[in-house]
Amino acid sequence: MGLLAREVEAAGVTTVGLALVREVAVAAHAPRLLFVHWPFGHALGEPGGVEQQRTVLRDMLSLARRAPQPGLVVDLPYRWRRESYPPITDWTLDSEAFAAALARALEAATLPVE
Amino acid sequence: MNHQTSPRRTPANPVMEALMHWVSGTGRGQALGHWLSRTIALPQLRRLTSDAIPWSPLQRPLREATVALVTTSGVHLRDDRPFALASDPTFRVIPRTAEADDLAISHQAYDRTDALRDINLVFPLPRLRELEAEGAIGRVAERHYGFGLVGQAAELVAPGQELGRLLKRDHVDLALFVPA
Repeated sequence: MGLLAREVEAAGVTTVGLALVREVAVAAHAPRLLFVHWPFGHALGEPGGVEQQRTVLRDMLSLARRAPQPGLVVDLPYRWRRESYPPITDWTLDSEAFAAALARALEAATLPVE
Repeated sequence: MNHQTSPRRTPANPVMEALMHWVSGTGRGQALGHWLSRTIALPQLRRLTSDAIPWSPLQRPLREATVALVTTSGVHLRDDRPFALASDPTFRVIPRTAEADDLAISHQAYDRTDALRDINLVFPLPRLRELEAEGAIGRVAERHYGFGLVGQAAELVAPGQELGRLLKRDHVDLALFVPA
């Protein structure tokens, strides 16, 4: 999937992907990935979990807007079946979880030498 | 109730189905699934992604952006040709109007039980249409794309380039990728 995202981004389209295996996400060298520590077949969460699914989509939009450099893998902190997801009304705001996760990813990333 | 509201499940080998149910549903199963995924994918990815990472930042605000979905979870239109379950590097087009009961899932390497109950887990097109209605994004693209299971990652390079051309042709600003 990371390979597909690379080709699409090379064609001039912004890409954001979800990843379920962190090591594979890192090795994919895709432009922008969000890692969720959830089971295969559940990238958006649980069946019927509307607010959970909307939360993941909002974080994907946030990464599309905020990523300052290619190759970030942002670890979302959501625990499987042990989170509550408040309703989203303002789509222009990043979630606190995303903002903190992006800051950690940027800290971990090797910054390019100027 | 005659009206079928869930996607169709393309039958896979029952042993494989049982194995994938275990992989998704238990801690040890997930550990094995992750190990398999790493073992299969990492050497291939090292060879294929050594050059610079492409970079095309958003050209317009999200509230004006056209957004498309790409899923690698084996989703396609029910009337379309199913993916070969073992490995298939081709892709299928899914129109923006598709509902859950228009779809099918042809993929043997994950437990599809929950995705068949709620297609948003692997192909969140209904959710994306809500985002359009709420003004979170400009519009949902006319066409979205489903891929199946692919054994050799190198086989995805050419279809990926074709996918990029098609998304660009549809003036898509942002493509969201969802794995199996």
